[in-house]
Amino acid sequence: MMKLSFEVNGTPCDLAEIDTRTTLLDALREHLRLTGTKKGCDHGQCGACTVLVNGTRINSCLSLAVQHHGDRITTIEGLGTPGALHPMQAAFVRHDGYQCGYCTPGQICSAVAVLAEIEAGVPSHVTADLGAAPPLTNLEIRERMSGNICRCGAYSNIVDAMAEVAGVKA
Amino acid sequence: MKPFGYVAAKDCEHAVALLAQYGKGARVLAGGTDLLADLKFSPHPPPEVVVDVSRVKEMKGISLTDAGLRIGAITTHGEIIESSVVQQVMPALADAAGVIGAHQTRNLGTLGGNLMTCVPSMDSGPTLLALDAQVTIAGPAGRRTIPLSELFVGPRRTSLQPGELLVDVLVPKENLNKPTGFQKFGLRKGQALALVNAAASAWMNDGLFSEPRIALGAVAPVVIRAPKAEAYLAGRPVSEEAMAEAGRIAATEAKPITDFRASAEYRRDLVAVLVKRCLVAALGRATPNQKELAS
Repeated sequence: MMKLSFEVNGTPCDLAEIDTRTTLLDALREHLRLTGTKKGCDHGQCGACTVLVNGTRINSCLSLAVQHHGDRITTIEGLGTPGALHPMQAAFVRHDGYQCGYCTPGQICSAVAVLAEIEAGVPSHVTADLGAAPPLTNLEIRERMSGNICRCGAYSNIVDAMAEVAGVKA
Repeated sequence: MKPFGYVAAKDCEHAVALLAQYGKGARVLAGGTDLLADLKFSPHPPPEVVVDVSRVKEMKGISLTDAGLRIGAITTHGEIIESSVVQQVMPALADAAGVIGAHQTRNLGTLGGNLMTCVPSMDSGPTLLALDAQVTIAGPAGRRTIPLSELFVGPRRTSLQPGELLVDVLVPKENLNKPTGFQKFGLRKGQALALVNAAASAWMNDGLFSEPRIALGAVAPVVIRAPKAEAYLAGRPVSEEAMAEAGRIAATEAKPITDFRASAEYRRDLVAVLVKRCLVAALGRATPNQKELAS
């Protein structure tokens, strides 16, 4: 058992006693009752558990909660609320970027991070010119979202939603 | 997960002291992408203690030193892709980092973890072997530097003794900017293990191959070099046919197995194709007088 303090969605959180085995995902869901973040495969292949840690997207199922002392965590609950949707959430609704919805929180957290990464000039495997700003093409978006699986197959609509938020035609 | 002890190491010395104290009962936690899957799903008993090195400052970061390019062991694949220095002097390593797992796992997984997990299909290994990388090992008796090739012993087995820790990876100065290509073939473009991966480096000044290095992954118990293919290329005029022949020779040096992902024959064919593509990619990165400029 250990003590853990971090910031989740802008709010300081202190967990007085947390089992060292607890993943960040389980800490969010079971201890803080933030059940928006989903457990899919639980070993880093599906992306349903994607959250932002200090602005960087990770699989929260592959990280121990106690590794995040002092970190700033953003989950789907921290992006927007039903009354004040994040632009990416609104675009997913508009473009039908889901069917069953289980992978959606992870998809949206990832999508928000993708646009930030592209804006910061971070290249991807499919970026041809490493020196130039990565172009916001269909191929770039698909490569950058390849860590988020959607078994309903809403991929095309997800790309459309992301392109709309980015202000491009994909 | 079954219960295990957890200690966050303050620095390398603290980590080494813990690793020496617990011996085989200790596991190192860096990015966690392999270790957590292991802790959750392995049939083996859990470690007595997990030594978390993910906040050890000395093990993080990429820097150009007098000796070469130093990459701390807990530098993530994501940080390697983003590094303008890596893109400039060692783009093939960024190529390799860019095809490991997916973006989220690349933001967790570390270079040191990829090497220390020591699976034959590791994507970081071939490029670093093709650039004669060295690794720094910290242990109770102090530090030592060994060639990367001596780190790999077998599938999931390295030459590190209990109590030892991988601190950083160094690509020597004379190999920075050496034209290098990396290629991976998996069953999908995203999130797939390599059926075969490969890297090739060579100087190509005056139209001749010199100091060629060819490294192959997923076709032997560890990442290996292909010395016969290298010897064939050394001093030979740069041509597409020579590259193809080097690939064919490398295929005879590979010792692939048949498993549920691919047959040995298929992997052997892939070696020939990928080695040639690596050399073509390396040629694409070659510029006149590159070696003179580097030294």
